[in-house]
Amino acid sequence: MNSTPLVGSPFTPAQEAVLKKWTTFYPHKEMGLVEALRSVQEWDRHIRPEAAAYVAELFDLPFNRVWGVATFFPSFTTKPTGKHRIGLCHGLSCWLAGSPLMAKRLQETLGVAEREVTKDGRFSWEEMECLGACEQGPALLVNDRLQGAATPEKIAKLKDLE
Amino acid sequence: MTKVLTRHFDEPKLHELETYRRLGGYKGLEKALSMPRKDVIEEVKKSNLRGLGGAGFPTGGKWETVPPEEKSPGPRYVVVNCDESEPGCFKDRVLVTRAPHQVIEGALIVAHAIDAHDAFIFVRGEYQDQHDIFAKAIAEAEAAGFLKHCSMKLMRGAGAYISGLDTALLETMEGKKAWPRQPPPFPTVFGLMGRPTVVNNVETVSMLPHIMVNGGEWFAKLGVPKSGGTVVFSISGHIEKPGVYEFPMGVKLREVLAAAGGIKGGKKLKCVIPGGTSMPPLLEKDLDIAMDFDSVRAAGTFLGAGGMIVLDETVDAVEVAHNIERFLTHESCGQCTPCREGSAWTERILERVLEGKGTAEDLPNLTRVGENITGKVICALGETVGVVTRAYMTKFPEDFKKRVPNNG
Amino acid sequence: MGKIVKYKLNGREVEAEEGRLVIDAAKDVGVEIAHYCYHPGLGNPGNCRMCVVEVAGVPKPLPSCRMPVKEGLDVRTDTEMVKRAQAGVLELHLVNHPLDCPVCDQAGECGLQDYYMKIGQYQSQVREDKEHKGKRIEAGPHVMLDQERCILCTRCTRFVDNVTKTHELGIFSRGHDGKLGLAPGKVLDNAYSGNVVDICPVGALTDRDFRYKVRVWYLDHTDSVCPGCARGCNISVHTNTRRPWHNDGKRVARLKPRFSEVNGHWMCDDGRYGFASLDADRLGKVLRLHPERVELPWADMAEELAGRLEGASVVASGMLSNEDWAAFKALFVDTLKIRDLYFSAEPDQIGVEDKLLRRSEKVPNLKGAEALGLRSGSFDQLAKDIEGGKVSCLYIIERDLSKVWGEARAKALLAKVPCVILQGPNKGVLGDLVHYRLPATAYVEEEGCFTNFEGKVQPYKKALEPIGSSRPDWEIFQLLGKAVGAARVKKGVAA
Repeated sequence: MNSTPLVGSPFTPAQEAVLKKWTTFYPHKEMGLVEALRSVQEWDRHIRPEAAAYVAELFDLPFNRVWGVATFFPSFTTKPTGKHRIGLCHGLSCWLAGSPLMAKRLQETLGVAEREVTKDGRFSWEEMECLGACEQGPALLVNDRLQGAATPEKIAKLKDLE
Repeated sequence: MTKVLTRHFDEPKLHELETYRRLGGYKGLEKALSMPRKDVIEEVKKSNLRGLGGAGFPTGGKWETVPPEEKSPGPRYVVVNCDESEPGCFKDRVLVTRAPHQVIEGALIVAHAIDAHDAFIFVRGEYQDQHDIFAKAIAEAEAAGFLKHCSMKLMRGAGAYISGLDTALLETMEGKKAWPRQPPPFPTVFGLMGRPTVVNNVETVSMLPHIMVNGGEWFAKLGVPKSGGTVVFSISGHIEKPGVYEFPMGVKLREVLAAAGGIKGGKKLKCVIPGGTSMPPLLEKDLDIAMDFDSVRAAGTFLGAGGMIVLDETVDAVEVAHNIERFLTHESCGQCTPCREGSAWTERILERVLEGKGTAEDLPNLTRVGENITGKVICALGETVGVVTRAYMTKFPEDFKKRVPNNG
Repeated sequence: MGKIVKYKLNGREVEAEEGRLVIDAAKDVGVEIAHYCYHPGLGNPGNCRMCVVEVAGVPKPLPSCRMPVKEGLDVRTDTEMVKRAQAGVLELHLVNHPLDCPVCDQAGECGLQDYYMKIGQYQSQVREDKEHKGKRIEAGPHVMLDQERCILCTRCTRFVDNVTKTHELGIFSRGHDGKLGLAPGKVLDNAYSGNVVDICPVGALTDRDFRYKVRVWYLDHTDSVCPGCARGCNISVHTNTRRPWHNDGKRVARLKPRFSEVNGHWMCDDGRYGFASLDADRLGKVLRLHPERVELPWADMAEELAGRLEGASVVASGMLSNEDWAAFKALFVDTLKIRDLYFSAEPDQIGVEDKLLRRSEKVPNLKGAEALGLRSGSFDQLAKDIEGGKVSCLYIIERDLSKVWGEARAKALLAKVPCVILQGPNKGVLGDLVHYRLPATAYVEEEGCFTNFEGKVQPYKKALEPIGSSRPDWEIFQLLGKAVGAARVKKGVAA
């Protein structure tokens, strides 16, 4: 018995179509769940319970399973990130390459603490675990694309992102 | 020196199908498809190819455990593990970026060997560029007719180092939390959606086309007995020329470091982590160790995925241990108590020690906690939690002792 | 039964069915292995790591809940390696566990306390602040959640996912941030929610009904059968008579399921929490209420009633035990030749049925009547007969007629009957409007048997002493039977 009734869909028809596609893309329905939640995270910058409930119904999965996945993986957040989600690796090699200094730079440049969103909603930053770019440390990630080594100049240029 | 995977890396368009074929690409697949499955498996067994994602399990031996159709009627699956997340490792990223077709061809060879008709490439979510490169290459391969007998689909992960572990990877692919399973049964018997599945690393499958073309014996001879072929090291940290370097199995550690330009700024070496931060470090005196699975194991650490991190004398071992335990605490899946609680506790003790609030009891306690964890956990991540701090305490006792007040 | 194989347990050669989990096989021969996450009704995830044993030739300890018995297996539970491993794992379970024992209901039946006393007894080395999570979370109408105490064994999540399939609970977030919680918007309100309290090895999930009432070590346990429906779940009645000033003075503290083929490991919430009537509104005196309230000894009451029972209409219910029904038949059918018997389950005793345990008949033993060939008349007809002045004596046994006819109508009907006798454990809303009140024991104060809907006869034992002068229904019937016989002899009628 679901104690929260679903009141309408939290998505646009176009978004619903994307999510539906993920239910048939792989040989088994549930295999599309992580990709579907990635889409949700991309659109909403976080996973709302209503969104997860809708996805659960679409995939014919219990809500607690979908919420478990939504809260387990670091790509998914339950609080909104900025439009540009910035990651700074603090793994061993990147730490050796000076990640703490770049973390300070990010905080100063963007004006927000880790995991906080700027007032215009454009940016949030966070320290992340190894991003697989140890030879270009301290590695910088923007919306899941590696940007090479974080430098004061590169960080300053982030503000140009729309 | 023979390079296998990076031989054509000076060719800028290697990622394009046309270039790849011109340089011999897809001949390995052609050869494999002309052979009976069991012969393909034999050839890979002969090659002594071992898993290059960290576990070092004999690849051919793994494929052999896939039950025949009669024993397990239904689909089999191939999963290429591109979830590279071990700190210090980036060779899969480079291999995919430069030579995606090498991976695709290799995956199709696995598919033929185990009679699979569906292959999946699981790409970590933070490798969006690599995902796009794969997508393009898969489209090229499909257009060229290579995917007639086996489909190939991409799936992006959503972070979490633990999802790189084979059984946790399968859980993620099934739309669940990445909680590792406890074999038996092993994935080759009960894998993706309960079907026989071979999970192989990017680098491992990349070797297959070359093994098919040149033969397993050739590959075996490149390396040392029991560890055939080459290995692609990722080197970073205090090194002059960080990057990927391919060497035959059994190369001396010293030689690898020299190829990468030696220690940055000519400083003194503190230690080298050989296979990713999960592995205990090697010291100056160990530089003549042969870099193959068994020799490194004999030296008390693991080759793992060949992610080498070089640390010079300015680095403090307590900070290193803390950095690694912090990583493990963040990445612990939480399923089993010793890892979940033990990692967080170890991290907090080290944090307190780093803040100058350590006590004399903390050091023996850290050892004891590590011992309590080791052997009582579900997966290798947990084992690392129990082993890492003790390794640094054993090798660099002074770094630890100087941060806690003296006894009595 | 599968193939029997020989294996070694602590040096002793033992036989077991091939494939049986070592943790179960060991228990079969009296070797208890410490564990939290394993539960025979919920599977063996092997995440608590407490049940580790030493296997000959294997350097690290292995969980026995994930180890099937096979020929030649050599397993030990008594080695140094095992003891150190279990003590070490226990310590890690306790690192962030709050020291709530003084205020935790689980104390006295807590997995952490029990194993700590057995294999722990070490000096804590925790010098850090413990991690803090939610406490006193009302998970549902019957269950309280304390996230700090939880050891994340997943028994409860497996219960709501695999048994009730209601999916209210889950472990959310990763690693040491992981917490047991309700999925957003959910309430733990399924019909079997109380079972999670049974299976929780620690005080993370506790009973709201039992909260702070009485310490468990004061409780006595008695094997019994739930009278809540025709399933007849096997239960254990936990009573407090040692500390009568605790538990609000109530004798029955709680009901717990006992494992049996009938109910597996579970019981429903209606049965579990439906024991209020055992310690409230109880009858204890044998009373004639008209024209004045007079207490009588049983023998005198029996003699007085003996003359009035001829031609009575009798109301009863499936609450009667097999022993009660036998004496009921002997008195009313065989001796008094009464045919107006009314005991069917009406809407007052019909409720929800489900695929798990609940049966729609909310009384335990209509089968007992059926087995004796007793047939019930229609309550509608009885009401009509009362309206028509045809009922001179109404004898009500273990039935609340206000629930059958509605309170107003029941009162009106009773007013029309010259002699109303009420027999049962509780007074109820009609109890002051009758002419005679005979106090009967509740099932916890007697021994007897119920026959469940499948025809299974199940005994229940006596947990408490009867209240006041109350007696089992069958004893009252026998007493009346004797009195009727004596009266007939006096009258010169055949007994």
